[in-house]
Amino acid sequence: MKQKIQTAIFTMLIVAGSLFSVTAQDASTILKNMDDVMYSPKDLTGVNKIILIDKNGKQESREATVQQKGNDMRMLRFTAPASQAGIAVLSLPNDVMYLYLPAFGKERRISTSVKSQNFAGTDFSYDDMEAKPYTNKYTPKLLKTDATGFVLELTPKGQSDYSKLVVTINKANFYPEAMDYYDKGNNKVKEAKYIFKKVGNYWNAEEIEMTDLKKNHKTKMQMSDVKYDTGLSNDEFTVRKLKQ
Amino acid sequence: MNRFAEGIVKLKWLIIIAVLGLTVFFGYQIKFITINSDIISSLPDDDPAAKLYKSIGNQFGGNDIGMIVLETDNVFKVEVLKHVKQVTDSLMVTKGVSTVTSLTNVLDIKNAEFGIEIGKLVDEYDLPNTQEQLDSLKKYVFSKDSYKGSIVSKDATATLVLFTMEDNADKQLIAKGIRHKIEGLNLPETLYFGGLPMMMNDVSDLILDDIIWLVPIVFVIIAFILLISFRSLHGVVLPLLIAGLSVIWTLGIMVVTGYELTIISNVIPVVLLAVGSAYAIHVINSINENKLENRKHALIKALSFIIVPVILAAATTAIGFISFVFGAYLTMIKDFGIFTAIGTLIAVVLSIFLVPSLISAFSLNSKRIDKEKPARKTILSNVILHPLVTLLFKHPKYSLVAWAIFLLVSSVGIFQIKTSVNMSEYFKKDNPTRVSEDIMQQKFGGSQPVFIVFEGDMQSPEVLKLMISTEKFMKTDPNITVTQSVAGLIEQMNDAMGEGKRIPNEKAKVEQLWFLLDGQDIMPQLVSDELDKGIIQSKFASVESREMEVFTVKMNQFITENSTENCKISLTGMPSVYVKLNQSLIKSQYNSLIIAVLMVLLIIGLILRSGSKGVFATIPIISTIIILFGFMGFAGISLDIATVLVASIALGIGIDYSIHVITSFNNYLQESGDAEQSIEKTIMTSGKAIIINVTAVAAGFLVLLFSQMVPLQNFGLLVAISMFGSGFGALTLLPVILILANRKRKLKAN
Repeated sequence: MKQKIQTAIFTMLIVAGSLFSVTAQDASTILKNMDDVMYSPKDLTGVNKIILIDKNGKQESREATVQQKGNDMRMLRFTAPASQAGIAVLSLPNDVMYLYLPAFGKERRISTSVKSQNFAGTDFSYDDMEAKPYTNKYTPKLLKTDATGFVLELTPKGQSDYSKLVVTINKANFYPEAMDYYDKGNNKVKEAKYIFKKVGNYWNAEEIEMTDLKKNHKTKMQMSDVKYDTGLSNDEFTVRKLKQ
Repeated sequence: MNRFAEGIVKLKWLIIIAVLGLTVFFGYQIKFITINSDIISSLPDDDPAAKLYKSIGNQFGGNDIGMIVLETDNVFKVEVLKHVKQVTDSLMVTKGVSTVTSLTNVLDIKNAEFGIEIGKLVDEYDLPNTQEQLDSLKKYVFSKDSYKGSIVSKDATATLVLFTMEDNADKQLIAKGIRHKIEGLNLPETLYFGGLPMMMNDVSDLILDDIIWLVPIVFVIIAFILLISFRSLHGVVLPLLIAGLSVIWTLGIMVVTGYELTIISNVIPVVLLAVGSAYAIHVINSINENKLENRKHALIKALSFIIVPVILAAATTAIGFISFVFGAYLTMIKDFGIFTAIGTLIAVVLSIFLVPSLISAFSLNSKRIDKEKPARKTILSNVILHPLVTLLFKHPKYSLVAWAIFLLVSSVGIFQIKTSVNMSEYFKKDNPTRVSEDIMQQKFGGSQPVFIVFEGDMQSPEVLKLMISTEKFMKTDPNITVTQSVAGLIEQMNDAMGEGKRIPNEKAKVEQLWFLLDGQDIMPQLVSDELDKGIIQSKFASVESREMEVFTVKMNQFITENSTENCKISLTGMPSVYVKLNQSLIKSQYNSLIIAVLMVLLIIGLILRSGSKGVFATIPIISTIIILFGFMGFAGISLDIATVLVASIALGIGIDYSIHVITSFNNYLQESGDAEQSIEKTIMTSGKAIIINVTAVAAGFLVLLFSQMVPLQNFGLLVAISMFGSGFGALTLLPVILILANRKRKLKAN
């Protein structure tokens, strides 16, 4: 009997201890950790495969090479399908974008203030594609913690089409596993699922599957041939490079 | 016939139990009855334009667009913009709504010197609030074709919020919820709700309202007329019971066979109550008149005497209804014809089987024999029928001439009849759906969709150029102001690339411009996923049949001239459908009338075994139809989807009066051999029954004047007029013809 009580107390202590350790991890820290995992590489190159799946299950795919530096410089160059090969999109700081269409042999600057627009037929909005740290854009609140992950509720700090995001973060490695997007009527409108793999020193989002629940349309973004910190220079992100 | 009648009386309990069982079964089925307010679904699949309209509407979602108009003195005010944003935001978060387009959230693509600027027309987080900002917004909106007259009315007093719904959502339910929600915002602007989902929801409500209100009124009115005619409880209860059962069975059969209530078939209960009670009345009448010491024998004798005339009356009425199956354009009219015919047959079968069974089972018939009781001198016979007989015999030729003049005048009216297919005119002037439609027409170029379908490679410059030239040609019609197509978007994008507002000559360029459009909300409304089909969406402003016809003829010619091997063009939309519907109204009127007249002529001729008497019997009803059309012409009541039904129904029901007169004349002639005496006797006896019957049926149909749908109001009025006409014709014109025919050559009984 005595032993049983001892065991019980002991168990309770362990549980209480683990509870304590979780609350100690406050929401901001968890989100900061996630940002660190996602945005710590100085630069990245790789191949991005975009698979669009419509409500009937019909698939269409595109491929592009990606170069990215820091949080706000990105070059996306399409290689497939043939009709879109050569189309390139250069994103620069302050919402400036350049688009190059090889059939026209010229580039156009696109300034878009509408972040809710979907990017090139995918289910990702410009907002979703932004590589800005989440801590800058959202105020987190810890909803729950379970054996494998933390669930945070993120409320936008500035203008957004979303009322909140609910993100599940891997407990051991702090990468996001799932993200649910809610509209202003508090309806879940989109959901993203992530598969992360370790490439070198970093965790890489090998696949992100975004589902638009209203349209019943899906986009999978798969990354391969990923290389980190190859020392990309700013010269790679110029209009001159765009046209090559 | 006697043995048949005996059999009925013998099997009375079996009959009563069987009817009870079937009634419980069909009554239970009615629980599952559904309303189909979708007028589009009634378009026939054998008309290519209608079929295409249905499939295009579904494929490109054009039938699922809802519209909300905010009307005020000036849209360009801070307050109004706030309210538009409120409506927009409210719609965006409504479950089942997939896209919303309004003044405060529409995307605006500007061509700046440095490139393309994609933004919102209005920054929803920072609405314009100075007069200067508002003025410049107004100036900009009115400078762009894509906004002027489509999102803000040209007089700047109204703005449109468009929304589409998710594929598998219950559109009517969502429409209802949206109306409730938006009205709940209590905005100071006047709100109008339009588009098919909204309209369908309104129509559903009207159909339900009509049924709930009209059926009990018809019931009470017929009960009242029966009460003053028969002065007995079972004289009221039995006809109403038969009519009521035929309504329940018919609706039950509709459910079992998978049919739905429509704006036309919702009058089936009213029609059946008015028509179906007549057969029971005849049966009871006959039973009342045969009074013998032995109740059972009296019943059998009465029954065997009445079976044939009643079946004959029901058969001609059913033929009137069935005639719609041949020649009607809308499937809902065919369905109406089939089910009212079925209901009529049910009523006659129940009158023959159930009425005697109940009377026998509960001993409802009196065995008292009133011996030698002189016929009661009623107001009816004294004031109306007797003077009528005197007049007809004294001045048969003048009476005939009077009829001839009346018919001649009516014939003039026939040429004034107009056809009407404009659905919004089907609603009363103050009905919200009609008001909304009128506003859509005044402010936003109508809400009648026009689609031009292009089948070919949608990325081929040839096809896109053809689309542009088609749009240009369409706009030469004064009723077309706004057109939208993927070709227009490609032109815009080409312009954005700095190469001018035109379709590029190279396919590669088109394909890359497509990259910019991919995934935009508007794309599924303009091109198919496979890129093998695309449409020009437009709206037609006028509801005038003639203008629609001019437009469709012109467009169809353009299409035949411009369709190529690589691109097949076809036209559809409401104007095309209306033109077909309009043509079909007159055609179906001819068809159903001719079929009805021929069938009736054949049946009467066969039963009476006399061609000439068959012709005599149809003269009053044909005269009635001439008067009916004359009245429609003079009164300005158009031939529409409901009034097109009147003539054949009038023929089917109205012929009964002539049948009564001519069979009764034949019977008396057989007895006495004196034609003139037989005519007088016929008028004095059948006259009473006919007047009661005309009053009951007409009163039943006049209740439709309280319907919410204009065509049904007209329908009720016209059937009532036809009932009076055919009753009056049977009692005046037919006797006059018989008198004159007899004076020329002695008539003989068959």
